[in-house]
Amino acid sequence: MQRRDFFKKSLVIAGAGAIGSSLEATSQPIRGQKISQVAFPQKRPMITYSDRPPLLESPRNVFAQAITPNDQFFVRWHMPEIPTHVDLKEYRLKVNGEVEKELSFTLDELKNEFEPVEVTAVLQCGGNGRSAYSPIAGGIQWGNGAVGNAKWKGARLRDVLERAGIKKDAAWIGFNGLDNAAYYETPNFVREMHIDELDDHVIVAYEMNGEELPYLNGYPVRLVIPGYYSDSWVKMLSNLTLTTSYQKLFFMDVAYRIPDNECECETPGDKHGETKPITTMNVKSMIGYPTNETKVYLNSHLTVRGVAFDQGKGIREVLVSTDNGKSWEQAILDDGKNGRYSFREFRYTFNPGKYGKQTIMTKAINKAGEEQPLAEEIQWNHGGYKYNGIDTVTIEVV
Amino acid sequence: MYKYILAMALTLLPLSAVEVKEDIQVPYIPYEIKMGEHFDAVQAHCLTCHSFGYIINQGPQSKAFWAGKVKKMVVAFKAPISDEDSALVTEYLFKHYGNGKEK
Repeated sequence: MQRRDFFKKSLVIAGAGAIGSSLEATSQPIRGQKISQVAFPQKRPMITYSDRPPLLESPRNVFAQAITPNDQFFVRWHMPEIPTHVDLKEYRLKVNGEVEKELSFTLDELKNEFEPVEVTAVLQCGGNGRSAYSPIAGGIQWGNGAVGNAKWKGARLRDVLERAGIKKDAAWIGFNGLDNAAYYETPNFVREMHIDELDDHVIVAYEMNGEELPYLNGYPVRLVIPGYYSDSWVKMLSNLTLTTSYQKLFFMDVAYRIPDNECECETPGDKHGETKPITTMNVKSMIGYPTNETKVYLNSHLTVRGVAFDQGKGIREVLVSTDNGKSWEQAILDDGKNGRYSFREFRYTFNPGKYGKQTIMTKAINKAGEEQPLAEEIQWNHGGYKYNGIDTVTIEVV
Repeated sequence: MYKYILAMALTLLPLSAVEVKEDIQVPYIPYEIKMGEHFDAVQAHCLTCHSFGYIINQGPQSKAFWAGKVKKMVVAFKAPISDEDSALVTEYLFKHYGNGKEK
């Protein structure tokens, strides 16, 4: 792999707006990453940041369509030891802790003993787009593609828990998967959810886009929590544990947290002490076509395609600018039949009328009126989470 | 305690690990990492849990950042790295993947 150039162009903010002593600002995430020549199991070749644990990013052109194919869906694991085989004769999803009766279910039981429900929902890493932040935030320098959208099918988490009988004083649900650390003492990637957050959209999914889940996306079963960042969507789910009190966990208490203030921001020299979990996703759009490598002829009909989403409030409109943000026009949105947690596809056709570089920008606005900010308006946080800048692609008109 | 012996991490064979039957094998990708003083400590301690890709894709960072990452591996993830080796690993990381800033 070639060494990537991490030194991003820093935008100089003129005048009094500059924060602290830093003259750097958020810009577009890294672009033009190489697609690996090596394909991972059940995947096409993808942008590959690490093989152990596997960290795979989808290339931009995947986002020209509402449903992300399973074999191009991004992958992010935390622990080095992923089971290379799950024997369904042995596999059980265990329910224990503060329940009337501890139970365990085979995959067939999950499929047959509970009402199957479907939800189309976006799965996005909290660090998606992290490479946009400057100074460089800690963590993998993801571009735009640590996100995907799939139709998930499974059993309601509530139904599974209720089968075991939720005790009155149960307040937290802990989730654990089959992946393991290299040392016994390393904390497992366990997540917790307060029982009040449990709604009927939260499912224990055994199907993704009509197929079994790819291994690297959590076969045989993963948690699906529509509207939430993927850190809580535990893969290869093996345990549901109810507790009366919150368990102190590394992956809840230290990782995946942002400043607990209104702007969710801080500066490297003045970090905000109080933090909160990243939880729900902000409004965002991404251009799938064209890409930064595209060339088109002068005055050709160019149809821009992409996707937009938020945490489930629903997308109201997507605006497109072809004059560097001076004016904005409405893109055509799909019919929204995949529901409020899904990518909405958009398209916008125009005729590039000048030779040379042509920039295309897209901005999503949700039904609550929240809209994507310009990249340079986004303030820094130490983990580089929740980047949602207006997406920008620059093509060449020839 | 090591669950897997170090030697395994040092070979260039696929690190398939863990479970039974065939089905899935995660490929090995030889990420190019810079050679230099104390690389042996990096090789001995870091590869047990993650690839070099995980290191080089963090971007160039300050000395405090790298020291903090090594400390996290020890404190949060329980990697058995001595203080002495932690300092060597930090030195290597900052020299080759640093941004020139102390903090």
